[in-house]
Amino acid sequence: MDSQTIEQITKMVIETLSEQQQHDTKPMISIRNPSEPFRDNSSLSSNGFIPIQEIAPKEFFEDFDEKYANARRKTPARIGIGRSGPRPLTKSLLKFRLDHAAAVDSVYGEVDASLLEKLGFFTIQTKVENDKETYILRPDLGRKLTQHAKDLLLSRCMIQPQVQIIASNGLSAKAINANLENVYLSLVQSLESLQLAMGTPFYIEQGRVGLMDDIGEVLKPTVVIYLIGERPGLVTAESMSAYICYQPRHGTIESDRTVVSNIHQGGIPPVEAGAFLGTIIEKILRYEASGIKLVEKEG
Amino acid sequence: MAQQTDTILSAGIDIGTSTTKIIISQLVLQNTAGRTHVPRVEIIDKTVLYKSPIFRTPLLDDTTIDAKQIEQIVFSQYQLANVNPSDIQAGAILITGETATKQNASELIHYLSDAAGEFLVATAGPDLESVLAAKGSGAVTYSKQTSKVIANIDIGGGTTNIAVLKHGEVIGTVTLHLGGRLMEYAQGRLISVAPAIQRLFANHQRTIRLNSPQNPATEQWVIENMLVSLKAVLRGEQDTDKIPLLLGHVPNWSEHIDCLMFSGGVARFLYPELKEVETSNAFDDIGEKIAHALLQDSSLQAFQWLKPLETVRATVTGAGVQSTEVSGSTIEVNEHLLPLKNIPVYTCDFQHTHANIEEKIREAISTAQQLYQIDGEETHYALYLKNIPYLQFHDIGQMAECILQHWSSSNTIIVILESDYAKVLGQTLKRKTSTKNIICIDQIYVNTSDYIDIGKPVHSGVVPVVVKTLAFHKA
Repeated sequence: MDSQTIEQITKMVIETLSEQQQHDTKPMISIRNPSEPFRDNSSLSSNGFIPIQEIAPKEFFEDFDEKYANARRKTPARIGIGRSGPRPLTKSLLKFRLDHAAAVDSVYGEVDASLLEKLGFFTIQTKVENDKETYILRPDLGRKLTQHAKDLLLSRCMIQPQVQIIASNGLSAKAINANLENVYLSLVQSLESLQLAMGTPFYIEQGRVGLMDDIGEVLKPTVVIYLIGERPGLVTAESMSAYICYQPRHGTIESDRTVVSNIHQGGIPPVEAGAFLGTIIEKILRYEASGIKLVEKEG
Repeated sequence: MAQQTDTILSAGIDIGTSTTKIIISQLVLQNTAGRTHVPRVEIIDKTVLYKSPIFRTPLLDDTTIDAKQIEQIVFSQYQLANVNPSDIQAGAILITGETATKQNASELIHYLSDAAGEFLVATAGPDLESVLAAKGSGAVTYSKQTSKVIANIDIGGGTTNIAVLKHGEVIGTVTLHLGGRLMEYAQGRLISVAPAIQRLFANHQRTIRLNSPQNPATEQWVIENMLVSLKAVLRGEQDTDKIPLLLGHVPNWSEHIDCLMFSGGVARFLYPELKEVETSNAFDDIGEKIAHALLQDSSLQAFQWLKPLETVRATVTGAGVQSTEVSGSTIEVNEHLLPLKNIPVYTCDFQHTHANIEEKIREAISTAQQLYQIDGEETHYALYLKNIPYLQFHDIGQMAECILQHWSSSNTIIVILESDYAKVLGQTLKRKTSTKNIICIDQIYVNTSDYIDIGKPVHSGVVPVVVKTLAFHKA
């Protein structure tokens, strides 16, 4: 293409555009103040545009219908949240993204060191060695103590305690930050009331549930209660579980662990959970069994 | 593995103005939470085991119930139902309607509670009757499935108890002097006119004489007044002058009523298709005529009418099958102190804030003690903690200290919590005292001026509870 042709084309384009600009005094779609009466002056004859269909402006409320409000009191699920066309309302979408971000944060967050210090928990490592990606990709490493951790336990902990309390962030550091203190203090009070003897409590950075078997081999406790952050969801990122096992050792199967889940502000209140867990531990000691075996023995 | 269940036997005895009936039912309790959750025990099934026939309420005279005959009725029906009084663990005795104003009603109820078993006894009030009738008629269950506002209208011999329901909750009650037996005849002559109707005549400078022949015009005038009263309360009338036969308080709800459900003896004539089996009880009173007038009234017909599950037995069904609740499963009770009956409740409202909790507890306890303390006697009362904010361990400790410090009148501390904190509070209280007994239960909804019965714990660890509103209404 020679330079002359290019010049011609450019000229044509500029002419066309400038012609259009003269016509475009009115926008294609007008945004109208809904309080003004609608005047139909957009007929083809007057300005040459296709008339725009009038659409009634619609307002949205968070609780736009009382029926939904009643149903919503019964569930934390996102029901009756309204929509704008096929899309969620901006408010609902932002809330959803906020909850999702909170879930991600709880996996990657850190447990407050001053909290552990206050409760007298010292910290040990698993074979994950404090790397979040490894923790997620290698669950098996989260079930094993490092040699250093084993030595530390033997040097600092009571051996063969009746009840060994342990805690780990697991998949939610937030669960520990929010609930550990209340559950632990209430649990200790409950165990003292029931005259059960506790060992030395400690915290495990990035442990998996099965780690209690490795700990069982080292400390030989009668019962282990393991407070661990649950995999976060969109309803709460702060939920904690308590796994309780009678004589956990290598080879213990999952069905032999008793679990109480959903411990958080919106589930079972942590202080109430602590008081309840004491009575479960007493029952496990009485029946010398946990998990499904306990259910069977109870009859 | 099948989940373990508990069963408890529940009895309801309704001694009404005209009729007396008994119902025995079995409630099945089961943990409905998943294995990995803290148990949540609920009543999962209610089966009626025995329905008595409808007996005429035995009276010695106009103002005295024949206690001996009532006892015989109860005894014979228990035998037919094949239950021992000692088997009954829950339920209620009600003395309803005008009968509740009879002289010896209160003594009778205490007397019967021994004869009918160590079960939970309710002394009726019109508000409670309204609620129980709405539960027994099926209105409450229906209301849970709709967003319509339903009025359950239980028309008995002496009174009409109305409960207004929305989303399964009772949002208001009202009672009227409207009943079939307010005017009675024998051999075509008027033999009895209830005091409320006599007052109605007096207020309109009209006279009515006993033993006069049955007069359709007079009757019609009385029934018209009944309908005026009924329609007034259904539209939420607050002016007592416009409710000629009001008994007690004016309507206490604000919603517009969409549907009507009728129960009680008179309702039998409203739903002929329900085919009640009782035919022996032909009452020579104005019940059937009231029903006829209701059916003819165009403004009542403008409401949607719903069919009840029970008519004449609605209240007794409510009392026997629906009156019992269960507490939360993590609680702290002393089994040897239970059952406890007729415990008055005093509410301490935290208003969802930690502010002034100690102050609020101190005030509630001191007021409750003034209200319920009888000189020289050990009286029980329960402190009800509602709208509780999120509590931490140190909050619980402070609350326990505060309760122990101020609770001086009785040796048994009874605390009922709206939300799930009973175990930890009970445990904390127990650790801090060696002299007082502790009963701490939760997830029960009560109010000041309610009375509560707490039964012995069942296997799953919960206690059955009957909540009831205040005793007798003064006519």
